[in-house]
Amino acid sequence: MTPAAAHTFFEDTKLNDLVTSPAMTVTEAHLSLYSGLTGDAAVEPGAVAELLPLCLSIGLGWRVPQPPLAVLAFMSMDWQIVRALHVGDTVYGTSRVVSRRTMREGGIVIEDHEIIDQRGETVQRGRFTFLVARRPA
Amino acid sequence: MTPSGRRYFEEIEVGEEFESPGRTVTETDIVLFAGLSGDYNVLHTDAEFMKKSIFGERIAHGLLGLAIQSGLFYRTGRVFATLAFVGLKWKFKGPIKIGDTIRLRTRVASKRETGKTDRGLVVVERTVLNQRDEVVQEGETELMVERRPA
Repeated sequence: MTPAAAHTFFEDTKLNDLVTSPAMTVTEAHLSLYSGLTGDAAVEPGAVAELLPLCLSIGLGWRVPQPPLAVLAFMSMDWQIVRALHVGDTVYGTSRVVSRRTMREGGIVIEDHEIIDQRGETVQRGRFTFLVARRPA
Repeated sequence: MTPSGRRYFEEIEVGEEFESPGRTVTETDIVLFAGLSGDYNVLHTDAEFMKKSIFGERIAHGLLGLAIQSGLFYRTGRVFATLAFVGLKWKFKGPIKIGDTIRLRTRVASKRETGKTDRGLVVVERTVLNQRDEVVQEGETELMVERRPA
C-alpha cells in the first residue's frame, strides 16, 4: 500500500503557533499570468492586482516544514488590504491558529494571516476559517 | 465621471445592481491557477483522491473563484473611480466544479463619507452564482472611491 502524504490534521493543530513562509518577489510575469487567467486587475493604478499577493501567499504557506493542513473546505475569510504592492516587492506570509473547535465531521480552525513586505511592513492581513479533517482512525 | 469614464463617489447609487456575463471554469483554469499560486492541494489537483471525497471530483480553488469574480466586476462597463481596495468579507458556500459557469451579481449596499474630502467608501455586496443559480460564493467588498473634484 502507498503511504498517505503527511498532513496536519485537526488534532495536530496548536493554538498560537506562528508559521512563517519563505519570501517571494512579485514580478511582472506573476501579474501577467494572473490578469490573463482571471481577468482581474489592480484597483489602484500602477499597483499589483490586490488579490494576487493573497493567492501567492497560500502557495508560500505550502513551503514550510509543517505538513499542510488537511483542509476539507475553505469556509470563509475576512481580508484587509493595508497598502498597495508593486512589481519588485518581496513578500512572505505568516499564519497563526487563533481558534479551534471540534465538529462532527472534523474541526473548525481559524487562522490569522499576514503578508509582510521587504520593509517588514504588513501589506495585507486577515482571518481564514477552514473545516479540517480529523486524523483517520 | 472621470475623463476615462469612471464614475465618482457621487455618481454611484445605493441599491444599484449589476449582473455580469458568465464564465465557464475549466480544468485549464484550475491547473494554471495551481501553477501560478503554488497551491497544489489535492482538492484541486488529484482526480482519483477527489472521487472519494464529499465533492466527488476536483474543485476550483476558492481564491480562483474570488479572483474570477473580481475580473467579472470589471465587465460591468460602469466602473467606479476606485482609489483603493480596502477589504472584503467572504464566504465560500459551495464548490465550483470543472465545467461550471459562474456569474457575478452585485448590489451597492452602502456609501459613506470619510474624514478626507476627496474620497468616500462604497460597500458592494457580491453573489457568485453557478448555472443552476446556486450561490457558490458571497460576500462584500469595501472600496475607496474618488469624489468629484470641487
